[in-house]
Amino acid sequence: MAKEKKRKQPPADAAPPPGDDGEGRSGRKGKKARKEKAEAILPSQIKNKDKRREVHAKLKREKKAQKRALARERGQAARRAEELGEQPPERQVPRTIENTREPDETVCRPDDQELFAGNDADEFNAVLKQHITPKILITTCRFNSGRGPAFIDELMQVIPNSHYVKRGTYELKKIVDYAKNRDFTSLIVVHTNRREPDALLIIGLPDGPTAHFKLSKLVLRKDIKNHGNPTSHKPELVLNNFTTRLGHRVGRMIQSLFPQDPNFRGRRVVTFHNQRDYIFFRHHRYIFDTKEKKVASKDKKAKTSESKSESEKQVICRLQECGPRFVLKLLTLQHGTFDTKSGEYEWVHKPDMDTSRRRFFL
Amino acid sequence: MPRTTVVESPGCPPLRALTTDIIGLVKVVEAHTKPAGAAKVVETWGDPDASRAIVAASLADRAADPVLAVARKNGVVELLNPLNGDALAAVKTVGPSPNDGGAEGDPLAALHLFTRQASDSILGTFLACTEQGKASIRSITKENAASGSDVGPSATWDVCSGANVQFCSVDHGESYAMFGGKGIEVNLWDITSCSKIWSAKSPRANSLGIFTRPWFTAGTFLCKDDHRKIVACTNDHQVRLYDTALQRRPAISVDFRESPIKAVAADPNGHDVYIGTGTGDLASFDMRTGKLLGCYIGKCSGSIRSIVRHPELPLIASCGLDSYLRIWDTNTRQLLSAVFLKQHLTTVVLDSHFSLEEPEEIKSKQLEFSVEAEAEVRKEKKQKSKTTEDETEAQVRKEKKKKKSETIEEDEEQVGVVDHSNINGEIYARKEKKKKKSRAIEQDEEPDSDGEMCSPNRRKSGERSKCLKKKSKKQLVA
Repeated sequence: MAKEKKRKQPPADAAPPPGDDGEGRSGRKGKKARKEKAEAILPSQIKNKDKRREVHAKLKREKKAQKRALARERGQAARRAEELGEQPPERQVPRTIENTREPDETVCRPDDQELFAGNDADEFNAVLKQHITPKILITTCRFNSGRGPAFIDELMQVIPNSHYVKRGTYELKKIVDYAKNRDFTSLIVVHTNRREPDALLIIGLPDGPTAHFKLSKLVLRKDIKNHGNPTSHKPELVLNNFTTRLGHRVGRMIQSLFPQDPNFRGRRVVTFHNQRDYIFFRHHRYIFDTKEKKVASKDKKAKTSESKSESEKQVICRLQECGPRFVLKLLTLQHGTFDTKSGEYEWVHKPDMDTSRRRFFL
Repeated sequence: MPRTTVVESPGCPPLRALTTDIIGLVKVVEAHTKPAGAAKVVETWGDPDASRAIVAASLADRAADPVLAVARKNGVVELLNPLNGDALAAVKTVGPSPNDGGAEGDPLAALHLFTRQASDSILGTFLACTEQGKASIRSITKENAASGSDVGPSATWDVCSGANVQFCSVDHGESYAMFGGKGIEVNLWDITSCSKIWSAKSPRANSLGIFTRPWFTAGTFLCKDDHRKIVACTNDHQVRLYDTALQRRPAISVDFRESPIKAVAADPNGHDVYIGTGTGDLASFDMRTGKLLGCYIGKCSGSIRSIVRHPELPLIASCGLDSYLRIWDTNTRQLLSAVFLKQHLTTVVLDSHFSLEEPEEIKSKQLEFSVEAEAEVRKEKKQKSKTTEDETEAQVRKEKKKKKSETIEEDEEQVGVVDHSNINGEIYARKEKKKKKSRAIEQDEEPDSDGEMCSPNRRKSGERSKCLKKKSKKQLVA
């Protein structure tokens, strides 16, 4: 092996493994070291497998050690700052796909007067201003079986004032007319494929938009561990991260499914959390509890001896999940009610829009 | 570093576009050469009100005295000054009779404002058509523009009954109009005599014996000087070419994708058309052969409601439900600029006389070279003819400025009372300008030092309207 090393790298270079470069960087010959690094052979370029493995393992080890050292240094600096009563050094924020999202000009701003004017003009205004109480019709595709019926049962518990109507063999346009005549404000169609619910169609009535969502990762209540059973109170609603104009519109559409005056006594909360254009649905009950909190002390020995005596009461919130859990992804948003023949789309997902992982629409 | 994608838009040549949206706003988008090429919103006119949503708009694109007509959802047709947004006139009911009350039951579907002017006293003549098929031509004279109730000579006729008119299009010579919609075939009408001269016939049933009911969604005249060739687009995604001299059935019929076609515009070259669909696809067709020339690709995801071709420059503007105004190059089919306008847009119109009045025209010439070669060629032709006038115009502007400052002072006192007096004043000023022009040509040798300092007429009028608005606001507050 040593032979090979010599063969590969001239003796003048003394075969510096990349870890050495790290030290060299801080040294006075930084420039030279950088040059060497560029020339240094990557482990993947080594042809001998054993050697390659060895070099690679060494490199990894060094990297790990370096990282640990850095973390330790940071921790020490923070502790030192704390002792001296200084401002602790700023925490590093990990770079995620969400916070490196591509800048989008359609993101709503709170000071945008035109946004509010547009809100006042849109189809959900009457429901959201509580002029009308929402009344929801839930129906299915023509053949509904498998987990479909169970999902609809749970959906009806989630959404107050919702009515199930058997689909039969009616066309969806007929059902839309039917619902319009009976003053429903929204229509939800659960579409199942191979006995699995796979799509959700939400239609605003009488002329509201039609949103088509892909539904995935459905977990029903009975499959959730330690699930609770929801009460019949009107739930609170949490809508997270609907930032763009389109997201805002979808958010308002979802909001219009629920009554705008929740019973806070019920302590029931329905969450639609948008992350990277996937809308996560959760349904929880919560309770405020007083709990005796142990005061953390510095060293472990002291903790074990004093913790029982040193305690104070604190209010905490406990959550219990109930009801289905699923993920929605918007496929299309159509202007007007359901119409595949002459429909005008406000937004359609097209494959050529997926130019980047960091581009989001909601 | 994160990989991001930014569409490199080369920017567009100087132009001015006006868009209308569903909460009743008119927005002016301008692209200048100075901060190279990016189009942005310059002004917004009107107050947001859903009941006054604009369904159609039409611009009489003249060098002098242009008028913008907008048809609102509540049945009012308003004439605006496209330079500063002042309302010139508003006609309440556009139905055939004033007691028709055509607001709720029979909303307006289409509007066309005639470019040619019969006489100087007429402010504008427009053709409006309701969804039930009641077409009417009205002209508003300058005298009774303020009252708005009394209108000039009008003609009304029924295009169809029991159907839903979706578009109306007037040919370049403005003597023929075409109507079409859900349940009616394309009709060609002679405007002067108000008589139907031609109507299309449905294509034969297909091999399975399936007959599709007519449902036309957009249409236009193909050539400038020929009213006999008509391009009509259907809801079942067909582009059809009708030759009225030849036969009643379509001469060419081409399918395009799967979505209904919602907008169409013809190219001045007389054989190309641009179509936009309900899912945001934009494409151009050569109607001599019915061949697809190509699609316009650029992240467009909402239904296209309106396409406009610039009369001189090789570019089109499209807008629609995705609330973007997009400007495309027709030669390279490249996106030049996209402006986010926050609301669902209904129509876009281009003001083709804008670039002529750019403040530093001579300087901008050099910048423009980088923009688009062919655009340049066309423009240069124009500018050559214009350079002789440039100096004279500068002179005119100077004098006009003085005039205007005077009129403003006069107007300031009356602003709170009547807004229209102000417009009349301006019209007067414009007339004066015409006279001045002829005079100024004689005094050609004047030095041109102030030419650059002078802001153009259009800009200035915009500023003026702003300051007027401010003042009126102040008065209101007081």
